[in-house]
Amino acid sequence: MTTIDRLQARDTGDPSPPFGEPGVGTEPSSLLATNVSAWFGNNKVLERVSLSMEPGKVTALIGPSGCGKSTFLRILNRMHELIPSAALAGSVVLDGVDVYGPELRVTETRLRIGMVFQRANPFPSMTIAQNVLSGLRLSGTKVANPDALVQECLERAGLWRETRNRLNESGAALSGGQLQRLCIARALAVRPRVLLMDEPCSALDPISTSVIEDTIRELCTDVTIVVVTHNMQQAQRVSHNCALFLVDGEGMPGHIVETGPTDQVFNDPVDPRTSDYVHGRFG
Amino acid sequence: MSQLTESHTPAPPTPPAPPSRVDGEPRNDRPIRQRRIAPEMVAELGGSAVSALAMVWLVFNLSGVSAPLGFGFCWLAAFLTVYGLLCWRRHGVVAMKDRLATVAIWVGALLAFIPLVAVISYVVLKGARAVFSDFPHFFYADFSNYTLSAPTSAVGAGAAIVGTVEQVGLATIITVPLGMLTATYVVDHRNFFSRVVSHVVDAMSGSPAIIAGLFVYLLWVVPHHQTGKSGLAAALALSVMMLPIVTRAAQEVIAIVPGSLREASLALGSPQWRSVLRVILPTARVGLVTAVILGVARIAGETAPVLFVAGGSPNYNWNPFSGQQDDLPLRVYQMIFQAGGNARNDAWGVSFVLVLVVLTLFLLARLIGASGPGRSLAPWRVLRRGPQRSGR
Ligand SMILES: Nc1ncnc2c1ncn2[C@@H]1O[C@H](COP(=O)(O)OP(=O)(O)O)[C@@H](O)[C@H]1O
Ligand SMILES: [Mg+2]
Repeated sequence: MTTIDRLQARDTGDPSPPFGEPGVGTEPSSLLATNVSAWFGNNKVLERVSLSMEPGKVTALIGPSGCGKSTFLRILNRMHELIPSAALAGSVVLDGVDVYGPELRVTETRLRIGMVFQRANPFPSMTIAQNVLSGLRLSGTKVANPDALVQECLERAGLWRETRNRLNESGAALSGGQLQRLCIARALAVRPRVLLMDEPCSALDPISTSVIEDTIRELCTDVTIVVVTHNMQQAQRVSHNCALFLVDGEGMPGHIVETGPTDQVFNDPVDPRTSDYVHGRFG
Repeated sequence: MSQLTESHTPAPPTPPAPPSRVDGEPRNDRPIRQRRIAPEMVAELGGSAVSALAMVWLVFNLSGVSAPLGFGFCWLAAFLTVYGLLCWRRHGVVAMKDRLATVAIWVGALLAFIPLVAVISYVVLKGARAVFSDFPHFFYADFSNYTLSAPTSAVGAGAAIVGTVEQVGLATIITVPLGMLTATYVVDHRNFFSRVVSHVVDAMSGSPAIIAGLFVYLLWVVPHHQTGKSGLAAALALSVMMLPIVTRAAQEVIAIVPGSLREASLALGSPQWRSVLRVILPTARVGLVTAVILGVARIAGETAPVLFVAGGSPNYNWNPFSGQQDDLPLRVYQMIFQAGGNARNDAWGVSFVLVLVVLTLFLLARLIGASGPGRSLAPWRVLRRGPQRSGR
């Protein structure tokens, strides 16, 4: 429904604001992780994970809880290092530039690789519009036409119709699904080239979930998306590529068992454990 | 209770004699309200109080003793005894214990309340006469006309109000940024140095107020010789007092800002300082404002820190940076030690003004502290706040 609204809005020629300036660009980027290992203190939680996330594609990370999917995701945009005991090895390369190298500052990396968290976390001290623009204010980016940007981002996140009349109210009155879409709009406003989503629908009802899935499918032409999900159907519905994480046993680090096009991972897996997992036989 | 019985019986179509209590009643639900205060209980309490009073009065009268405090205590003891016996006879031991405990708690709370009310009302009674005998005059006049025989209507707290406002204002300007920065640092960085800072703040808040005055006297007033005594020096001393209060309170408030908001802001590519400035502090805004106002209210009445650094002055001195300045607690202190005349009365008047100032600040703190998230803190908005708009 919201998708249809949005398509209609586009057809009737809502002035689509020029797509440029803030953040870094319109092209989706490629992201390549090589031999990434991670520790919390002395506890190794990821073992030599290598994964290529292709530009303009949706990559789904699946696997049981505790196998390091969130950790891997947070390594991609350097959120991992915020935890004092955390350490890592390996490299993450964004369009040929090492994000842990000297060419990119931390803030710049995070600006280019946006993130949506499992629990919606809009800023309670800001209105809906301010929330959308918060990334620009926080990164010190000037924007020529903030109103148009707010509208564009809310439209892309599928939230414009519901909030257009209360942009200047506190976001607190929105529902859980709307809050999560507000967070997506906020992440989009800085024009990231990659968007990381950590179980974005795990706390949502089926209708909000399908709206967000629509959003993901539409966004992937502009941004590379990496999404963690526990929902096999969701992985099949939204992703082009898929990577399965597993741990071999208690206290062992997580690693990738199989990666490839989603169709292949689900219908014709190489590893027998993959077939077991996607058909719900363990995990 | 009746609802439960009702739903368990499978809707008997007017059966002759089910043991149900809802039997004869219409099938409409009636809300059951627990009467908080039963008339019976009031009667028991009142009866016990009156009979205890009569007994004790009789005994005191017959023996010719006159001791109000002792009378009060005896009355309380007699009341508890009579009431306990009454409840025991009528309701049993368990009910007696329960009621006695309730009454004891209430009485304790009221007793604790008495000194507070006594202090405030005494100041108001004594001070109001000085202040309102010639109404606005006392608020703007100064003490330049003061002589031993001058009536209270010849003097006023104006100069002292100016001093207090300026000194407290300056102290706030100095303290708020420092306190916020310290609190943010201590909450955000858990390392050895931040723990040291945290402990120093705690120790500072326990240090005697006179030390703050002495500190500024030795480090600021003495090096500047006698010209060092000024509003600014007083503000510095007050800052030393206020800093730990504001920092402590701000620390508590900042610590409860959810970590997810901090992560969200950093994930948007924000440097840490902007995340603090634009997300964490605004989120904690309401609590921070309360912290600051409580700090202000606390130092507004401090005498010891300003005792030998403000200097005091009977005349208006609008410039806090040069020349001695008066303030309210200092003026009270000075008037109390004047011999005879109306000095005591004047002191009561100034005390009354001081209580007014502090009370205003507390009211402001309550008003602002009551506002929810995302609300404007501009005073005019706070004051004419309508019904909540965002929570539908
Ligand atoms: N902040 C942390 N400190 C210590 N250990 C952690 C922390 N976060 C996660 N872990 C551990 O790392 C492992 C992987 O966690 P996570 O990446 O959250 O798994 P997933 O997202 O796949 O459920 C788990 O064993 C978890 O206990
Ligand atoms: Mg996770």
